[in-house]
Amino acid sequence: MFPGPTLSSAASAIVEAALNRALELDPAGRQALLDALAGPVQFSITAPLVMAWTLDRVGEKVQVRSQPGESVILEITGRPVAFAALALGDDRVFADDRLHVVGDTALAHQLQRALNQLQPDWEAAMARHLGDLPAHFLGKSIRSAVHWSRNAIRTMNANVEEYLHEESRGLPGRRELEATFQDIDDLNLRTERLEARLNQLASSSGNQNDTEIL
Amino acid sequence: MSEQQTPGNPGNGQDDVTHFGFRNVPKSQKASQVAEVFHSVAGKYDLMNDLMSMGIHRLWKRFTIELSGVRPGHQVLDIAGGTGDLTMKFSDLVGPSGRVVLADINASMLQVGRSRLTDRGYAGNIEYVQADAEHLPFPDNSFNAVSIAFGLRNVTDKDQALRDMTRTLKPGGKLMVLEFSKPTNPLLSKAYDTYSFSALPLMGQLFAGDSESYKYLAESIRMHPDQDTLKGMMEEAGLVNCKYYNMTGGIVALHVGIKP
Repeated sequence: MFPGPTLSSAASAIVEAALNRALELDPAGRQALLDALAGPVQFSITAPLVMAWTLDRVGEKVQVRSQPGESVILEITGRPVAFAALALGDDRVFADDRLHVVGDTALAHQLQRALNQLQPDWEAAMARHLGDLPAHFLGKSIRSAVHWSRNAIRTMNANVEEYLHEESRGLPGRRELEATFQDIDDLNLRTERLEARLNQLASSSGNQNDTEIL
Repeated sequence: MSEQQTPGNPGNGQDDVTHFGFRNVPKSQKASQVAEVFHSVAGKYDLMNDLMSMGIHRLWKRFTIELSGVRPGHQVLDIAGGTGDLTMKFSDLVGPSGRVVLADINASMLQVGRSRLTDRGYAGNIEYVQADAEHLPFPDNSFNAVSIAFGLRNVTDKDQALRDMTRTLKPGGKLMVLEFSKPTNPLLSKAYDTYSFSALPLMGQLFAGDSESYKYLAESIRMHPDQDTLKGMMEEAGLVNCKYYNMTGGIVALHVGIKP
């Protein structure tokens, strides 16, 4: 079945090499990740291809296997998007059940924090090949570009949100929505209380009629 | 092509002969003839493996390691370990508290393997033993995992070798046999035959100065039991949960069995 053992092994070899290369560039992050890997951790992907990969610690490196692990201490199951969110530092993936955890949840959070804290020094890696000055120039440019992109995306989101809520009035504002939801919750609660009260009255009037008949 | 003609069957009333490639030879001579082949190719073994498989043998071996389940502290036997590709990985996995035994019947291959591993700084948890897979010099129930990669087809009595490997496994231990097998796709099979019988001897001549050894390689692969036969042999040897994984269209298969 696709992708087959040969391709899977090739993929795991690439991921393992990339991960270990990145860890070499962040000794503190590497230590945090190795500490979090107290045993084999299995990542089970449910779609679009069902596969299970295992991450384990081998000495001062990590080992990636394209097979389910034996005696794993932690199994994390979910879709690739959820794993991507986990890698990008979204710690709500466990709480909202996008990723299902079998094993020690605290360990899963420790692993998530370790992955999130990884900050490989790419500039040092480039400096080995290009020299200090070009690497620093290139690194600075890339950092500026990333910073600018993040700012631009944040500003654009804020502008779109403001336009939809305030100018076009196409969507209600967040506070208006919260107030409406609160009103609905209150109404729901009061209706339930009224229903309970009516039930109670109905049952007590039934008991009175029974007594009069006797 | 003359090499692809139907080989003789050594089993029909010829109990004292076995195959050496497509030829029948007395059983007592096969080991020495195989030894000659490996003495001849030992120096260029890694280079030729990379050339012939286009580097894919590394992925086949990697998959074997991935499936081994070897953990720190384990005892591992790598039979026909040759130049130590698997031993190197096992050594990393078992750590300083474990042990890997690199065994090979051929002194030249063992010497190349020992030099290569030592040069790369692998020492402390590796032992080197010149041993015959049919008569392993280890006590019963010694190893958590036993592997034999591209070695079983050269063994004279494969059933005996499988029995002896099983004997040395601890209960629950895993035997992994990585070996050339039968391609599952007829088109691939044709292309593979052409490649094996034309390109391999030519490459052997060009890069190792020895075409006969690589002709033997192609022939010995054709004489090796297919996937299901080998699985049956492993079950006969006393292993359970035997299964195999076809790789690269069945050109190579990894057989795995557990000692009960």
